[in-house]
Amino acid sequence: MISKYGEGASSDATLVDRLLRRDVSAFEELYDRHSRIVYALVVRILEQAPTAEEVVQDVFLQLWRNAARYQSARGPFVPWLLTLARNRALDNLRLKSERQRRREDQTDELPAIAQAPEYEKALDEKRRAERVRSLIGTLSASQKKAIEMAYFEGLSHSEIAIALQEPLGTVKSWIRNGLLRLKEGLQTAS
Amino acid sequence: MDPERIVAFERRITDGIVSEQDQFRELIEAYALGALDPGERVALEAHLAAGCSECAKALEEARFLVSQLAYLAPPAEPSDMLKARLMQKVRAEAAVGRPATAKTRGALIPYWLWAGVAALLLLSIYSTWDARKLQQEVQEVNARAAAERNKREQLEQELTLAKHEAWILTDPTTKKIDILPNDKEMPRLEAMWHPELGIYITGQRMPMPKEHKVLQLWLIPKSGGKPMPSHVFWPDANGKITEMVDDPPEVMAQTKALAITEEPAGGSLQPTSTPLWVGGVS
Repeated sequence: MISKYGEGASSDATLVDRLLRRDVSAFEELYDRHSRIVYALVVRILEQAPTAEEVVQDVFLQLWRNAARYQSARGPFVPWLLTLARNRALDNLRLKSERQRRREDQTDELPAIAQAPEYEKALDEKRRAERVRSLIGTLSASQKKAIEMAYFEGLSHSEIAIALQEPLGTVKSWIRNGLLRLKEGLQTAS
Repeated sequence: MDPERIVAFERRITDGIVSEQDQFRELIEAYALGALDPGERVALEAHLAAGCSECAKALEEARFLVSQLAYLAPPAEPSDMLKARLMQKVRAEAAVGRPATAKTRGALIPYWLWAGVAALLLLSIYSTWDARKLQQEVQEVNARAAAERNKREQLEQELTLAKHEAWILTDPTTKKIDILPNDKEMPRLEAMWHPELGIYITGQRMPMPKEHKVLQLWLIPKSGGKPMPSHVFWPDANGKITEMVDDPPEVMAQTKALAITEEPAGGSLQPTSTPLWVGGVS
């Protein structure tokens, strides 16, 4: 089998299944594949390398200890891992800022697993990453700013509206329309 | 609140208004992003818990889409030390689970007998552990089910309250009443009075009442009678007031003014202090 990681390489789902048998080499392989994007995401949110490393360590230890909770039949692994990483980073940010946050998932629970849409199957991870970076440049500056504030800072519609001194309805439109445009762009690329 | 009044009111407002389903569908992407404000989040979670398959499917897609935003982060490399620390922990945890090495067999008792005894012992321990584990799991499932029921009930109550507040704020028959402070340094309050659904009072930057005191709403009747006591309330930690009075003691047409005083905890039957805020109704 030729996987995106080279001929004969195991898929992420196969490696996660091996974690259930406490296969350390499978864990190391998963870490080598995905630690860069996880770390990049976490350090973007926390803006401090030492704290980011602690959170990344926590994320991968959660993966090691809770591999059974990830069910490969339900959805792709990397989006699940990135959601876990974002949640943990925002938890850390919440503790530091002592502000109340809302998130889709509870603080101590693992994130839900998202079923992959059709365009996920047509674009591999690398091409999808390139496509997302390219598409974000096609959004208006306001849409991009609002989405980044929501995603990387965990801010709500109201908080973004106050920070940008814009009407609440405007901010809601920026975020919704920006995300829909990203979705259309990914579907078109596939 | 009379359920028939609510149903009748609901029927009157559904014509010509964007469907509730469309409104919830529009919230899905922001929900996946974690950007919804509390009121909308609670309402959408109740809608999803009610089993809307269309929104559930849209949420799966939205979650995936949001996860792709991670690729907007600038490239960065973790240190080699991080991997070293992590692998050390993982190897240590993996080693705890490894079986012990074989020991020397007993000299006088046959090996097959030892194996049989060991198997019986293991089976006995496993059965006991399994039964306890099962009992514990059943208890945990029951506790989780009870917690989920409580959570759902709370969400339904919050959703009903949010709906009433939304209707009051948007219905043309609602009357806006400015409740002005006697002390100009104090913030204003605002009341939105709907003839059927009640009074919705809001305020910002409100100071906390004195210790063991609360704020109490009074309705001053046009007839000149005594002030009629209503809800007691106080600001939250951020100084915000959002109070829903769904059972005012008098109708709007018979009320001259709204007043707010500071009263002992639990409220009073008659005002014990001069009003801090007053708002004319007519």
